[in-house]
Amino acid sequence: MTQVLFKNRHPDRIATLEEYRAGGGYDALTAVLGKYPRSKVQQLALDAVLLGRGGAGFPAGKKWMTVAETAPFPRYMVCNADEMEPGTFKDRVLIHTDPHQIIEGMVIVGYSVMAERGIIFIRASYENAARILEREIERATTAGFLGDNILGSGFSMKISVHRSAGRYICGENTAQINAIQGKRANPIQPPPYATEKGLWNLPTVTHNVETLACVPHIIRNGPEWFKSLAAVPTAAGTKLYCVSGPVQHPGCFELPMGTRLSDIIEKHAGGMRTGYTYKTCLPGGASTRFLPRSLYDIEMDFDTMKKAGHRLGTGSIIVFDEKTCLVGATLNMMEFFARESCGWCTPCREGLPCMRDILARIEAGDGKPEDIPLLRQMSKYVWNSYCALAPGAASPVESLLTYFEDEVQEHIHQHQCPFSSKG
Amino acid sequence: MPKLIIDGRNIEVAPGVKVIAAAEQAEIMIPRFCYHPALGSVGACRMCAVKFLEGPVHGLQMSCMVEARDGMVVSTTDDEAVDFRRFVIELLMRNHPHDCPVCDEGGHCLLQDETVSSGHVMRRHIGKKRTHRDQYLGELIQHEMNRCIHCYRCRRFYQDFCGYRDFGAMGSANRTYFGRYADGPLENPFSGNLIDICPTGVLTDKPARFKGRRWDFERAPSLCIHCSLGCATIVSARYRELIRVEAHLNPAVNGHFICDRGRFGFGFANHPNRPHHARIASATATYTDALQAAVNQLAEISRTFGSQAIGTVTSSRASMETLMALKILASAHQWRPPSCFQDARQRNAAVAAVTRLNPDAAVSLHDVECSDHILVIAADPIAEAPMLALALRQAWRSGARVTVLDPRPVSLPCEYTHIPVAPKQLSAVLQQLMNALPSSPDTPPAPPIRTSDDAHNASAVSSPSCDPKPDTALPLLAAALQSSQRPVIVCGTDIVSGTVVNAAADLVMQLRASRKNAGIFNILPGANAFGAAIASPDGASFSRILAAIENGEIHALLIAESNPVRWFPDRGRIRNAFKKLKLLVVLDYLPTPVLDMAHILLPTQTHFETPAVFINQEGRMQQASPLHCNGMPLSQLTAGKHPPREFRHDIPGADTKPAWQVLLEIKAALSAVNTHLPSYSELWEQIGQETGIIIDRHPDSEISKGHRLRLQKPKHLPETPEPDAPLQINLQDDTSLELFPVESFCGTEELSAYAPILCRMEPVPELIMHPEDAAGCGLTDGGMVTIQSGAAILDVRLKTAAGTATGTAFLPRHRQLVWHRTDRSASRASLPQK
Repeated sequence: MTQVLFKNRHPDRIATLEEYRAGGGYDALTAVLGKYPRSKVQQLALDAVLLGRGGAGFPAGKKWMTVAETAPFPRYMVCNADEMEPGTFKDRVLIHTDPHQIIEGMVIVGYSVMAERGIIFIRASYENAARILEREIERATTAGFLGDNILGSGFSMKISVHRSAGRYICGENTAQINAIQGKRANPIQPPPYATEKGLWNLPTVTHNVETLACVPHIIRNGPEWFKSLAAVPTAAGTKLYCVSGPVQHPGCFELPMGTRLSDIIEKHAGGMRTGYTYKTCLPGGASTRFLPRSLYDIEMDFDTMKKAGHRLGTGSIIVFDEKTCLVGATLNMMEFFARESCGWCTPCREGLPCMRDILARIEAGDGKPEDIPLLRQMSKYVWNSYCALAPGAASPVESLLTYFEDEVQEHIHQHQCPFSSKG
Repeated sequence: MPKLIIDGRNIEVAPGVKVIAAAEQAEIMIPRFCYHPALGSVGACRMCAVKFLEGPVHGLQMSCMVEARDGMVVSTTDDEAVDFRRFVIELLMRNHPHDCPVCDEGGHCLLQDETVSSGHVMRRHIGKKRTHRDQYLGELIQHEMNRCIHCYRCRRFYQDFCGYRDFGAMGSANRTYFGRYADGPLENPFSGNLIDICPTGVLTDKPARFKGRRWDFERAPSLCIHCSLGCATIVSARYRELIRVEAHLNPAVNGHFICDRGRFGFGFANHPNRPHHARIASATATYTDALQAAVNQLAEISRTFGSQAIGTVTSSRASMETLMALKILASAHQWRPPSCFQDARQRNAAVAAVTRLNPDAAVSLHDVECSDHILVIAADPIAEAPMLALALRQAWRSGARVTVLDPRPVSLPCEYTHIPVAPKQLSAVLQQLMNALPSSPDTPPAPPIRTSDDAHNASAVSSPSCDPKPDTALPLLAAALQSSQRPVIVCGTDIVSGTVVNAAADLVMQLRASRKNAGIFNILPGANAFGAAIASPDGASFSRILAAIENGEIHALLIAESNPVRWFPDRGRIRNAFKKLKLLVVLDYLPTPVLDMAHILLPTQTHFETPAVFINQEGRMQQASPLHCNGMPLSQLTAGKHPPREFRHDIPGADTKPAWQVLLEIKAALSAVNTHLPSYSELWEQIGQETGIIIDRHPDSEISKGHRLRLQKPKHLPETPEPDAPLQINLQDDTSLELFPVESFCGTEELSAYAPILCRMEPVPELIMHPEDAAGCGLTDGGMVTIQSGAAILDVRLKTAAGTATGTAFLPRHRQLVWHRTDRSASRASLPQK
């Protein structure tokens, strides 16, 4: 299996700058800075079909192109390392594996949009990762890959690490922009888009850690090579899949984009633990839908998932076995989403706690038959909220009712959780 | 111009208008909580959902977030939209305490209305409700956080619109809390608007708490007369007591908001000491007797000492009717023309402002908001015309620059450049500025200074960039004015002479000559100072009147709605002079100290009780409609217990008349030939003949709606006489500081000084001077100083501020500052350290 982002992965330590350079690290930066026209960098990413790995899957090159040639300065490059999606830990693993590919990616993207100010917005609980990044930024600066007049190209860039105050919503692009400016982390509905008016009303390009890490490899090896990495012709590159739940070897795996779910679980995560039977999974973090058994062999890429009515999200697979109560699991996630709502719009601020309360009553055996249509209606209506948090939060509930209604009905009719009594 | 269809109605709106506003134009009110025309759209409450059936947008969308575009077909009554809105209400009501019976908002609550209209009637949710602890937010606003539906209007108004930071949103998710970091009074002088914009009962009017429901009140559109801006208000009264004042929309003047002085300053109308009965020599008399006594004695004095022995005094708080009735009375009998201003400098400045007001260049408060560079000359907006400060902030939020040329350490809720210049240097500085303005209109514009306009929403009340050296700042200012397209010159009249006002008018004309759409916005001393300048431009200042009494030239004084004692250091001198008078007739509704000295008192009515026209500082004539009949409030009559157990046929304390009517009755009674008593409309006919102002009494006329009626240029205002000598403070080394009495937000304005609620909030008045001036005479910040003027002395705390122009000192005309009589006498004010 070709390892690109995890090429320098060691079980016990972080790859050094020297190791990274020995494997071709910073060659892309040397090739690009001052030599490639900025539009060429953008075109390469576009040709490589590099889709945003944060969950939305927006073409990266297209995002850079929205920064107008005439846009004002300074421009900002933000690396989104606020990894708070339940079940997702790929960015942390990536930073602890080979942090320089992220820094190199930031400088190249910064160059392509002429952003001389880089900010890594990192999850508050990733203090180790933040310190690693700060140390490696220092080393990259000493080595001349960051700072003033990088490699004599005339392009300068400084990167600072900004620790989040610790809310899920800060991972949302526009809320993050508010948070960095010291404002309340409420999302802002475009237009204007952040690439036009972001931080301090200046052009701001935000990318997920994994997306940025792909950039140097695309520049060095070309778009065709990147596309050839994928398992399906419509996708490109590799993907960091996180697997959690009752599997033999939970963890983060770099696999071709579009690898089948069954392969990920059985081949790479070692299959289910002894005595556990696969029931379902959330394929892309807590804000995606439960997958029905019929999609166990689905190819895990943006396109295929979307066509099947699901989302790849962050590619973080949370596996549930036959003995796990899905009502309880959904309630657990709803506790998280209700707590992490920013409080801006009504369906999310008031609707999620309401759904949580109903789920809690069902789980406690106090559910009523009319709770099911009520939950269905609410799952539908929270889609009309301000940002994507509430629709994401409703996805497990809606899919629970779609694929596992019997389990919910059992709770209501038995007036207790069927799993707790079985033991 | 986009054309769209909403609920089957064809609508054409201006580009950029949101669908919710477009529907409003077609008289379709889409439910809303977070949307407010002045605060804009933020899409938070999700209450304004409508269904887009055809056109560029499809499906259920928030009508506040979608711009009206060609070809849209919108349904506000589509089943899906109605059902979704009911769902939103159901969620909002989930945690609402349902305490409507004891909520002051009940009856005019947007949440009540939208709940009923949405069709959500049965509660489906069980379990506990979210609760919060309420905060003490000061004397003006009651906090009841449990009622909150999180529309964010309060935070957006407080922080974005006003620029104050001590109140806002805290916490997250469904624990989001709107309040302060800790209990304490709100710092924002516009905080009362939170009461109006809160769609439910979280922020309610504290002084009006539990005093009645909306439908219990008598309500009328009125005017704020606590400064010269003339903001529109709606006033409510119950049982002859004024209960509350709310902002009334006047797009050209105050928009949707008013300041706290205007909202809570109405206490004068309910004041327990307010005169309700006529008096002759401090004994209660019938109105008829008192009036007859006044007429008899006036006739007698006129016969004995000549008509010039009768002086008349009024003020800029008197309505146009009162001012003109007094003028008509005085001129009919050849008495001295009314004195309307405290001192001659103020009078000269006001008359100059009115005389030089070019109708084409005069701009409204709304025009100030649309300006791209505002130069404020000799004005402290928060103190003298509070809503102007809010207008300056809105202009700045849209990218305008603000520059202040004022000797005081002015504070504004926006970024601005402050150039402290002493008043006596101001006209020279303005001349310098005019010389520095390039004569050719084609000069390339100066490069913009700001690159980012984001700070507009974030910034709090900021300290200004202060440039003490006009020599370096003026060329920059000239270049900035030159590069602006719609500059506005704001000119105050409180601390400067007519020369500066004239220079400001010249500057506007010079800017207009170079093809700029330049405007002038004067601030005048008093709600009807404009009217006073028209009615009596030649009236003497009060100090001249006083001298004439002392010299024995004036034997009778008629004071109509004025308190000349208020800012006159030597009260003993006034008392002695008034003792020499053979007759002092006072007409007033305020319990001023003059009342106690009056031989005859004729109580009058406020603009809440009689129609009253005021002309604001831009020449806009507006009328306040009477709200209720005058009389003693029931609460005062029954010591707070109601309903009363005594029944009577008259209204207690209603033996009052409008001042203009009393004055016309005196005129008629004194006349040998013309004994006809003019009606209200006949008075206005006469005013029209005297001033050229025509009032249209048709109920649909502009004036009854409080809309713009731009005055034509007033005719034939004479040259103004020389001003009085300025007050000076002598320092130890033979230099002196010029002392200026000035306004402050609280405590100096005459009417609101009778409002107990505002009196409790007054800051301690302080003498302000530059630290170097203070150091020069060994004074320190925070120390007490004694000022002596004539035979009167005053103890006051000193505050030094670097933003003050050197050579000047400022003392608020504060009601708490009382000059004491002393045996020491001095020809000039001196400043010994205590």
